Amino acid sequence: MITLGKALNHGLRRALEDDPKVVIMGEDVGKLGGVFRITDGLQKDFGENRVIDTPLAEAGIIGTAVGLAIRGYRPVCEIQFDGFVFPAYNQIVAQVAKMHYRSQGKVRLPIVIRIPFGGGIGAVEHHSESPEAYFAHTPGLKVVSCSNPADAYSMIQQAIASDDPVIFFEPKRRYWEKGEVDLSSALPAATPLHSARIVRPGTAATLLAYGPMVRVALDAASAAAEDGRELEVIDLRSLSPIDYPVIFESVRRTGRAVVVHEAPGNVGLGAEIAARITEECFYSLEAPVLRVTGYDIPYPAARVEEEYLPDLDRVLDAVDRSFGW
Amino acid sequence: MAKGESVAGTDIPAGGFVQLLTPDGERFDSVTTADGTTYSVDFTDEEYRELYRDLVTVRRLDTEAVALQRQGELGIWASLLGQEAAQVGSGRALRPQDMAFPTYREHGVLYTRGIDPIMPFGLFRGVDQGGWDPNEFRFNQYTIVIGSQTLHATGYAMGVTMDGKTGSADGEAVIAYFGDGATSQGEVNEAFVWSGVFNAPIVFFCQNNQYAISEPLERQTRVPLYQRAGGYGFPGIRVDGNDVLASYAVTRQALDNARTGQGPTLIEAYTYRMGAHTSSDDPTRYRIASEVEAWKAKDPISRLRAFLTKQKIVKKDFFAQVDDEATTKALDLRERVLAMPDPQPVTLFDHVYPNGSPELDRQRAVFTEYQASFEGSGH
Amino acid sequence: MSRIKEFNLPDLGEGLTEGEILAWLVKVGDTIELNQPIVEVETAKAAVEIPAKWGGVVTRIFHEAGAVCEVGQPIIAIDTDPTAPPVPGPSSPDSSASPASPASSASAASSEEAGAGLIGGPAPGGRTAVLVGYGPRTTSAKRRPRVGTGNENGHAPVAPAPTPVVPAPAPVVSTPAPVSPEPVVAAPVVVGGRAGAVLAKPPVRKLARDLGVDLTGVDGTGPLGSVTRDDVRRAAAPVVPASGPEALDLGSRERRIPVKGVRKLTAQNMVASAFTAPHVTEFLTVDVTRSMKTLAKLKAGREFADVRISPLLLVAKAVLLAAARHPMVNSTWSGETGEIVVKDYVNLGIAAATDRGLIVPNIKDAGRLGLRELAEALNTLVQVAKSGKTPPADMTGGTLSITNVGVFGIDSGTPILPPGESAILAFGAIRPMPWVHKGRIRPRQVTTLGLSFDHRIIDGELGSRFLRDIGTFLEDPSTAILSWT
Repeated sequence: MITLGKALNHGLRRALEDDPKVVIMGEDVGKLGGVFRITDGLQKDFGENRVIDTPLAEAGIIGTAVGLAIRGYRPVCEIQFDGFVFPAYNQIVAQVAKMHYRSQGKVRLPIVIRIPFGGGIGAVEHHSESPEAYFAHTPGLKVVSCSNPADAYSMIQQAIASDDPVIFFEPKRRYWEKGEVDLSSALPAATPLHSARIVRPGTAATLLAYGPMVRVALDAASAAAEDGRELEVIDLRSLSPIDYPVIFESVRRTGRAVVVHEAPGNVGLGAEIAARITEECFYSLEAPVLRVTGYDIPYPAARVEEEYLPDLDRVLDAVDRSFGW
Repeated sequence: MAKGESVAGTDIPAGGFVQLLTPDGERFDSVTTADGTTYSVDFTDEEYRELYRDLVTVRRLDTEAVALQRQGELGIWASLLGQEAAQVGSGRALRPQDMAFPTYREHGVLYTRGIDPIMPFGLFRGVDQGGWDPNEFRFNQYTIVIGSQTLHATGYAMGVTMDGKTGSADGEAVIAYFGDGATSQGEVNEAFVWSGVFNAPIVFFCQNNQYAISEPLERQTRVPLYQRAGGYGFPGIRVDGNDVLASYAVTRQALDNARTGQGPTLIEAYTYRMGAHTSSDDPTRYRIASEVEAWKAKDPISRLRAFLTKQKIVKKDFFAQVDDEATTKALDLRERVLAMPDPQPVTLFDHVYPNGSPELDRQRAVFTEYQASFEGSGH
Repeated sequence: MSRIKEFNLPDLGEGLTEGEILAWLVKVGDTIELNQPIVEVETAKAAVEIPAKWGGVVTRIFHEAGAVCEVGQPIIAIDTDPTAPPVPGPSSPDSSASPASPASSASAASSEEAGAGLIGGPAPGGRTAVLVGYGPRTTSAKRRPRVGTGNENGHAPVAPAPTPVVPAPAPVVSTPAPVSPEPVVAAPVVVGGRAGAVLAKPPVRKLARDLGVDLTGVDGTGPLGSVTRDDVRRAAAPVVPASGPEALDLGSRERRIPVKGVRKLTAQNMVASAFTAPHVTEFLTVDVTRSMKTLAKLKAGREFADVRISPLLLVAKAVLLAAARHPMVNSTWSGETGEIVVKDYVNLGIAAATDRGLIVPNIKDAGRLGLRELAEALNTLVQVAKSGKTPPADMTGGTLSITNVGVFGIDSGTPILPPGESAILAFGAIRPMPWVHKGRIRPRQVTTLGLSFDHRIIDGELGSRFLRDIGTFLEDPSTAILSWT
């Protein structure tokens, strides 16, 4: 059993071992090992040319990663916190996302941008945000999020191996949760990067979650089972593209869907997923697709964040409402 | 050409800095830099004692905050330990009409503006995100994302010029605080460009505390930071940030240059972050004990204390008295922090827009009803 | 307020439930300062020094060094105002340091992880230290009890309201249940929807709920076999074919009758049916004299002494027996799935005139009823229909229907199929008519049968055979039974 953070560390280590072109860059990733210790020990073992402490400039981190990628490297960039990605936003959406398209496929940017995201750690502002929709909205970017140590280990390696630019959202409040990870497993045997997965089968309704909210959805499903209601939980894993066939198959069976995410609901991923389910599973729906999300407000102060974050009760409240239709 | 090349003092960094008080408490009457500017201070005995009181108080309050964080009463605390002189010196140099844009560590500057030191604790306790009116206190809210506030300060300073409030001795000036790490941000460089182009009445006060979390200065620059100013067309000067007198003198001069229409100045206050970046940081991972010990010898408080003692500016029990006063203030602060109420959950929805939003009103109503649906909710 | 304060062993994080007192750094009687280290506690991870939460004089130490102490137990009492006169009275436990139930403990412990207060290490309140905040904590996997029964949409909650529970500590989950790393193979799914589940658009589900129709019993005629509004309405209130105009005359002599309720449904059903299923109607005039005699005999017998029976009973029996010989007539056209659903049961619909309009309640699985049971069912059905109390379930799921226009003195008609059904028989009036019987013209009891059927399913030959068999039975029930069964 190792933590999710440690699993990422092992995955990054293996990527560095497997491909000499892989470089890690970011603020405090070297000697300190990252503010969450995700890159702990990597600079010591792979050197300062492979694990690079950068100046404090996110636009610089991503912009130089583009150049490194053109030169044949596979940069793995760490954005220290979700709320710090915005200086790099221009580079990501205007440059990284479009390079392959406008070069007619001649330029590949196999860049991974790791972003610890989400709240629940009692932090000050700009340290608890969920900006995934901005990136999922941008054609040319792949967006994924792991929810457990085993996925963290395989998905980070898959993201690095992919020639697509991948925004890799890490559920920072789950960094210390533990799970079994087979560190010897071969990457090709892992679930494909952009596949969703049913993490708890059920019949009554489908809960759709990703990243930190998968744990919440699973807890909700456990509580619901005590009331005799078996909820199916799907870990989306990939946010762009979304693995819709798995979702549709599930919703056609259960007839009900609840999407859970921390990000505000307005124009969030839940909205897109609800729309697609409605389009594809209309005849199967017993109730409208419901969303349990953050409210449409800036991420609030730490002492009230638990009122803001979707939790077990809010998820089950939505399930109840679904059954009330 | 940048200032600060020619200095007096001891134990100075390559390139020198302006120092008026050595770590041993030796006082220089004045320092003249290569460009001919002379820096000095002319304090009364009482003013010296006040400076000392400020330094001790802001350190004591900071110590209390660190303890509160360890006891789970603050989510985080960004300690100013070691940087008291840079903050008190520059803060005391501000005139009442001047405007300050802090980053998130300027508790000492805040204190010198006469503001109740509890004001930023809401942010660190997590009961609010600031919540004060910058114009009321002439002190902007803390900015967490490093460097962003330098552009805000520049824009504010451009407004001062547009309002015709520069060009005289009673004009307004603006000071923007940031750290060595922030100098790498594009936004800080844009702030330099803007303020140079628009000759904004602004002082960029960079507390170079040698570390951006774990990254040493060498990860941000290959030249002394103050020398960057030349490339943007305004002067830069380095000051001993552990010397409250020099910090005061240099800042005062730069602010007066700004208010009289002579444009921006970059001040690099050379200092050291004695503590961790924040309470959960572990600096032993990236810096060695001897380095910390060396900086302890340059402590900003002990050098002023030595000076006051040597000059016989204070009575015998002065230092104990100051300590007691500071402790009283710290314990009072502690009690008031512990008494800070958690916000009512429904206030989540307040202040998102000046004009409100019907959709938010709906969400607030749903939220209120939902909250009331639980046992023990009082409904 | 009491000035003696007890300090409880805090949960130092990571799911710790107890700690060993390694050494006391203070003793009873000592004057201590706020934040002064008072005790070293060995947790599962590290030795941690705990700073005093208050200054004062130590009045009591609850556990000696070496003792293992549970989180939440008081370990030290401090008189925070030792100069004041002694105040007897209860001590006030330190609520802020009180450790929450073990379930609130955070994440994971590991021998290789950070020490107290450092990133990844334990933080106050059962959290995990992070650089920038209080740190994450694991929340309970239990539902909070709700009050009342409503929710914001006014729907009654489906789940039973959780009973208030004594706040016992939630089960300790120091590490979350592992998430299955392998995909769970989903149950195979039939094309077009859930196995055994009903496909329907949400507004159709709403309609069904409003009309009390159980969708699982409704055959869908919509896309992918989904249930349509018409299917639901048909299930709610099947109707007979004919309906005369109610609004007559001109100008002020016109009456306007709101089209609603049963009448509206009837209209919609009839339109839907008439323009969906290609109708063919065939007629057969038969001599039912023997049936009438049989009926009389039955009435005279003990078996039916207390049951009212009519020619309709024998017509019903004829339809049921003939349908058994021609199962295809008892079927539904499901165009979108490209299927004909043939049923091996007959829910026999009988059109009935009621104050609300014409409805077609049906007798479930009528083919399995004996004659007497069928008679009773017919009587009940008619009586209930006239009283207006036909339950919705009786109006859904019909498969084959009879409309007894004869009771109105009508010879026959061309009935419109109830939607979803493939055949309906109009049973005309029985009259004495001149009839060629055994080579001579005799007055005989004669009626005309009119059979409408869905020509997509039932071709002319099948329809004719079915109608012919009904006629054969009514001409000579005894012989038919003997030869068919």
